[in-house]
Amino acid sequence: MSWSALLPLAIVLSSMLPGLVIFALPEERHRLRTLLNLAGALLKLSLVGVLFLGVYAGQDYLFRMPLLPGMDLVLHADALSLLFIVLSAFLWFVTTVYAVGYLEGSPHRSRFFGFFSLCVSATTGLALAGDLISFVIFYEMLTISTYPLVVHRGTPEALRAGRIYLTYTLAGGALFVVATAWLRALAGPLDFVATGILSGLDPALEPNLKIIFVLLILALGVKAALVPLHAWLPNAMVAPAPVSALLHAVAVVKAGAFGIMRVVYDVYGIEFAAALGLLKPLAVVAAFTILYGSVRALFQDDLKRRLAFSTVSQVSYITLGIAVAGPLATIGGLVHLVHQGMMKITLFFCAGNLAETLGIHKVSEMSGVGRRMPWTLAAFTLGALGMIGVPPLVGFISKWYLALGGLEAHQPWVLVVLVASTLLNAAYFLPILYAAWFGAPPPAWPHEHLGDARRETTWALLLPPLVTAALVVLLGLFAGAPFSPLQWVKLIADLEYSS
Amino acid sequence: MTAPALLHLILLPLTPLLPLAVFAALWWRRTQGMALRLVPWAPLPGLLLALLPDQAASFVVPWLLLGGHLGLDATGRVFLLLIALLWLAAGIHAQGYLADDERRRRFFAFFLLAMSGNLGLPLALDLLDFYFFFALMSFSAYGLVVHEGSPFALRAGRVYLYLVMLGEVLLFVALVLVAWESDSLLLADAGAAMARAPQRDLILLLLLAGFGIKAGLVPLHVWLPLAHPAAPVPASAVLSGAMIKAGLLGLLRLLPLGLVVWPAWAQVLILAGLAMVFFGVLVGLTQTQAKTVLAYSSISQMGFPMLGLGLGLAQPGAWPLLGAAVALYALHHGLAKGALFLGVGMADGLRERGMRRALTLAGLLLPALALAGAPLTSGALAKSALKPFAAGAPGFWPDWLPGLLSLAALGTTLLMARFLYVLWPRGGAAHPPRPSMWGGWALALGALILCGGGLLPVMGPVSAPGEPKLWGLLWPVGAGILLAALALWRFPSRGRPAPLVPPGDLLVPLEAAATPAARLLARLWSRVTPYSPRLRPPPGFWWHNLALLLSLHEAEAALRRLPVAGLAFVVILLLLLIL
Repeated sequence: MSWSALLPLAIVLSSMLPGLVIFALPEERHRLRTLLNLAGALLKLSLVGVLFLGVYAGQDYLFRMPLLPGMDLVLHADALSLLFIVLSAFLWFVTTVYAVGYLEGSPHRSRFFGFFSLCVSATTGLALAGDLISFVIFYEMLTISTYPLVVHRGTPEALRAGRIYLTYTLAGGALFVVATAWLRALAGPLDFVATGILSGLDPALEPNLKIIFVLLILALGVKAALVPLHAWLPNAMVAPAPVSALLHAVAVVKAGAFGIMRVVYDVYGIEFAAALGLLKPLAVVAAFTILYGSVRALFQDDLKRRLAFSTVSQVSYITLGIAVAGPLATIGGLVHLVHQGMMKITLFFCAGNLAETLGIHKVSEMSGVGRRMPWTLAAFTLGALGMIGVPPLVGFISKWYLALGGLEAHQPWVLVVLVASTLLNAAYFLPILYAAWFGAPPPAWPHEHLGDARRETTWALLLPPLVTAALVVLLGLFAGAPFSPLQWVKLIADLEYSS
Repeated sequence: MTAPALLHLILLPLTPLLPLAVFAALWWRRTQGMALRLVPWAPLPGLLLALLPDQAASFVVPWLLLGGHLGLDATGRVFLLLIALLWLAAGIHAQGYLADDERRRRFFAFFLLAMSGNLGLPLALDLLDFYFFFALMSFSAYGLVVHEGSPFALRAGRVYLYLVMLGEVLLFVALVLVAWESDSLLLADAGAAMARAPQRDLILLLLLAGFGIKAGLVPLHVWLPLAHPAAPVPASAVLSGAMIKAGLLGLLRLLPLGLVVWPAWAQVLILAGLAMVFFGVLVGLTQTQAKTVLAYSSISQMGFPMLGLGLGLAQPGAWPLLGAAVALYALHHGLAKGALFLGVGMADGLRERGMRRALTLAGLLLPALALAGAPLTSGALAKSALKPFAAGAPGFWPDWLPGLLSLAALGTTLLMARFLYVLWPRGGAAHPPRPSMWGGWALALGALILCGGGLLPVMGPVSAPGEPKLWGLLWPVGAGILLAALALWRFPSRGRPAPLVPPGDLLVPLEAAATPAARLLARLWSRVTPYSPRLRPPPGFWWHNLALLLSLHEAEAALRRLPVAGLAFVVILLLLLIL
């Protein structure tokens, strides 16, 4: 085994080991804890950078470790895993900075950051998993390690949300295990290969394969918040803002969407899945989820709840892009994995800033807040306009490719869904922007924490949303530049359709 | 590379970027003062670019969006000159107009963003850049519309934003269809793609509606008589003079003009243009606010280039000359309307004595006469450039159009008389105009005079009308003035306090119809779910009380109960299996 094989493992361990050390740290060693956190995040980011350059140069990184006879833990870096891992490593770094600032002085920080690191290890494991069985293992690990974060506050409401979260995700996870075992028995090793591995099987097995596909989508659909499996997500917004950012942008929801990508592209193969007639129903479910999430978001006065329903809607853009089989739709769906992450993490950071600095939790309390916190609201505005899909922000790029993909696949109804979603997004985001910028501020904010009224908020809270908001603009404006997510995704799409 | 070409290459990106840079400087306390002083000068690169001798330079940036392409062609130059001149004049005027406004930093922030978008439009040579600048301009202009914060302005802003969003999605679908058909993002390829696209009627309809919203196409114009008057004077000037042209420019860029003959669509556009012309005049005559009269006049005036587009779809061979005439019309109307709107801010100069009073009166009369098409003005030039092409119209139009156009000129004269009448200051406190307001106004008027003399540098190929038919130009204006004088003599009363037709015309019955429907829905709502506080929409929402949604909340709550969730899980599983 060479050094290059150890790189994927090192990337997974770079957050797991600091996490384990942090558990052992006493609560008051916050300086060491922060140092460990940031060192781990930076180390991971630089390792991912090395991995990226290596893969770009054509090097193959494969780590294989036997777990049971006939069952290996496989870590393999391919183009698709890089898309996810670069996103999660970068956003983890930003979120860590934010979380340090957000939780300053609150109890149980060792527990929080420990599980936070484990959660990210599981996510990187998911990104790098080279076969379906390894994927299942990390998927379950993610489920378990996120639970303590959801219930972190320990309030009855948080515990209830945690219970709902566990019920949904564990049921989904159990289903995932069953389906994977079944598929393993039918098809042998399940290593991910671009263009899929199942198309060569005996045609008599096709009914079984269809059933397994449905099971897999149900299992993954829980995390990807496909309606009607989404109910855990809006409840989980009781968690602290960095956890919401993690749930919605970096790890959990994305894990579901990424899993659907893996199953459709690298296990079944997009052309084979389309030939089995499995993608049409998936596209319909995704389209329904997009509209349903947006409609529900209209009615939420709680800012984070509104954002949560917005996630339900936006993540299904990814699923829609996968299910509308065609290279252009694939580009739109895959690139939205990154784009939605940037936009949604910005929005949640901003929501957290409002809650932490001024005690604002509700949309109806946001009147005039733009004058008190202009930078935060500027970032929020960019994120919201991006969600609507206003050019040149990232959301527009995704929407453009999805629409072209709909035409390419002769499914013009996709355009109708996109138009409706755009209008609904505008209907629930623009009133917020209006109130924040043009409304009259109240005489006093609900609960102002920061003693200094001249400062907007602390740097650790302000910088992360500004950085991600800048990326919302730059990744869209310079989508044509080399190394932009769009160009990388085009590369992946070429691979998936090469047969 | 020669020096002028290099200058072009620098000025092309600088034109939209300089306003953005000044916008950025507004954010820091340290640079604020400087930025506020710089605001009026931000359109200068654009003006310089339009005034430079013609160069075939283009600025290609493959990494911008999905391939950025900026450049300047003949049409673009005319529009760029107009837009840069008007923003410059409005910016200078605004320095004085908003000098005492506490919220002028917010105003100028939106002003600069909209300026950047508007200046970028004539330079954009590919679909996505065009769409980007269009969106930047449209969304930022919202801040200008609602700036004064009055209930009227807020309502105008709401209506404006609804229609902007509608326009955005219509254009999105149209552009996706065009891009898919042409397999290229260049605007130069769009016309040909539309000509051969199987869904060309759908695309044309979408484009017409999407850009028509901006250009005041009846019945999508309802926002215009609300939003243009609601904004502060300098913002009205650019809204009605420069930004309204974005819709026209979009149609000029995308329609297959000069490539195909579409007689049916030609008829539609001619009819739409005439409808705008006369609708604007008739409703405008009933208005009691000077700025609302001007807004209706804008709807009316934008009907002429729309008619020109219709003529173009009927006679592709004539398009090169006709296109230039349409662009000239846009230039003339933009300058005249900009000068008129800025003149509304100067009306208190009429209270003064001597030179200033005379100058103010002259400054108001000149653009009014130009719009009416009086001889020796830019209006005469623009109208006589457009008129010869009426002969190429399909059907019976060649016989009717000349007469209708003269009638329209008569109507415009009356409308301008109405404008001066309602503008005339009576009572109330006087606010003498500040020097910079004079400066901005003088710039717009000077450009209008130059335009009338055919002296603006972009007008080389367009300013060659046939022999001027003095009588044809003179009688509608003369008759209009006579009629107006007669009306003033016969009905000297100050008129009704409220306009006969409320501003926003068609919108009012629409809203009136929507209110009982909403009330009914609200009643249904409260009866079905009287107890659920979480369903109560946040303040400011009343229109999405859709009965359809009633059950969603209940379903959601049920879904959270575990046995139900488990059951649903199994049921869905079975359902999907059957599929």
